Amino acid sequence: MSDRAPTFLYLAEDAIGVMVTDCRRARAVAARLAERAPWLEATQGMNSVCVQFDPLQTKEADVVSALAEAMNAPLDEDESVAPLRLKVRYGGEEGPDLKVICGSLGLSADEFIHLHAASAHVVEMIGFMPGFAYLSGLDPALNVARLTTPRPRVAAGSIGISGGYSGAYALASPGGWPIIGRAAAPLFDPSAETPLVLAPGMRVAFSPA
Amino acid sequence: MTIRIVRAGVQATLQGRPRRGARWLAAPAAGPADPLSMALANRLVGNCPDATAVEITLGGFEARIEADIAIGLTGAEGVASLDGEPVAFHQTLHARAGSALSIDPPRHGMRTYLAIASGLAAQEAFGSPSTYSPARWGGHQGRALLPGDVLRVQGASTMPPAIETPARHRPAIGPAFALRACASAETALLAPGSKAALFEQSFVVSARIDRMGARLKGARLDLASDGRMASGAVYPGVIQCPEDGAPIVLLCDAQTTGGYPRIASVARADRHLLGQLRPGARVRLLNRTRDEAINDLREKSAYLVEWLPEFRM
Repeated sequence: MSDRAPTFLYLAEDAIGVMVTDCRRARAVAARLAERAPWLEATQGMNSVCVQFDPLQTKEADVVSALAEAMNAPLDEDESVAPLRLKVRYGGEEGPDLKVICGSLGLSADEFIHLHAASAHVVEMIGFMPGFAYLSGLDPALNVARLTTPRPRVAAGSIGISGGYSGAYALASPGGWPIIGRAAAPLFDPSAETPLVLAPGMRVAFSPA
Repeated sequence: MTIRIVRAGVQATLQGRPRRGARWLAAPAAGPADPLSMALANRLVGNCPDATAVEITLGGFEARIEADIAIGLTGAEGVASLDGEPVAFHQTLHARAGSALSIDPPRHGMRTYLAIASGLAAQEAFGSPSTYSPARWGGHQGRALLPGDVLRVQGASTMPPAIETPARHRPAIGPAFALRACASAETALLAPGSKAALFEQSFVVSARIDRMGARLKGARLDLASDGRMASGAVYPGVIQCPEDGAPIVLLCDAQTTGGYPRIASVARADRHLLGQLRPGARVRLLNRTRDEAINDLREKSAYLVEWLPEFRM
């Protein structure tokens, strides 16, 4: 890790974060912080970790030093999980932004699908909403921006891309990611033993349904 | 010991203790959008501040009370009646078995709280009975109440003595809100004129409002952002600004992380007011430093402790 002083993020009088180099480090730092009260919450971001606390109980200076200390948490190494195959129906009504994305990238839909399905993806984080998976491994040629105005409702199972990641919406929710398709099988099944199909650290292989 | 829902209005849900310590699993807090009003309702019937109660959105609510029981109404005030007789908010009401309770839409504010002595039974998920409907967690079958639903009172019947909320502890809920707010992680991305506009203009709450968040309409805020910010933690009270320049203030069901710049955060002391924002309400943000916001929290907590000794903001 870097010898430079950490960059702290002051979100509010009761929430402070720290920037880290990547998602894997964020997972490790968040896990370290979660072990240690008095946080109300310790939340992982893509390249940051944030704690929320009661400012009448905990001093800002103590929060800052705890964040700095947690930066030294060791990375946990486990890449032995077999990739999960995830069939996706690309484009059409279930992937309403695919056409516009292909237009802006100068790709045909088939070229896009080939590039998206060819690479190995990893669930870096579950965030935003229950079961929303951020997957790394997106081909760099497919880096597009978020929608300028988020949709009030994105269907459950939708797959989007943005900022160099793929995102999978396990539940219907509002959403700002351009949507390229929908998983052929549900990503959330409340009656299942493991209701959320995707979990942090899982490797995923997309393929056209 | 049951309450039968006759009409549920726009959205009525069971809310109680928020979900805590599960944001790392992307499980939002849920709980009452206006926790102070819910605590006041519970106080009227001798419950702890976060006993499970009914959160009613914009009135239109009717229920049949099928046991002799004490109830309390607080929050946004619509005309309320028990068996056709008008009843007051902020007073313990002794309802008789078989009586009909109805609550009309409020003139101001968004959410009314109906507390029942002993509290309501609810499903738990991640240690909380609060309804989070996007994931069908908590409350009554994980969803908003529907006509015909039967709610059960938790534990034994009690008839606490009639009390009323002292006038100085009744929150004023009107058409305009002044919310104290601090800068947040990406406030510096705002163009200089837009930072001033954030704290100097009056916003109007748009029709795009739910328990996750409320969009505010006003002069467009300009941001130095290309829409590729890495997602980071957000909490209820955080104000995000998408590239279209119309900010979103996050409420109790707020997502756990987001990728739009976090341009401000409503102070902990004033977050309970967010639950009363409704379309058309006016909002001013009052700029506070973090130290000032902590002081505001200390002062408001000290003020509330006299009537709500167990309530924490």
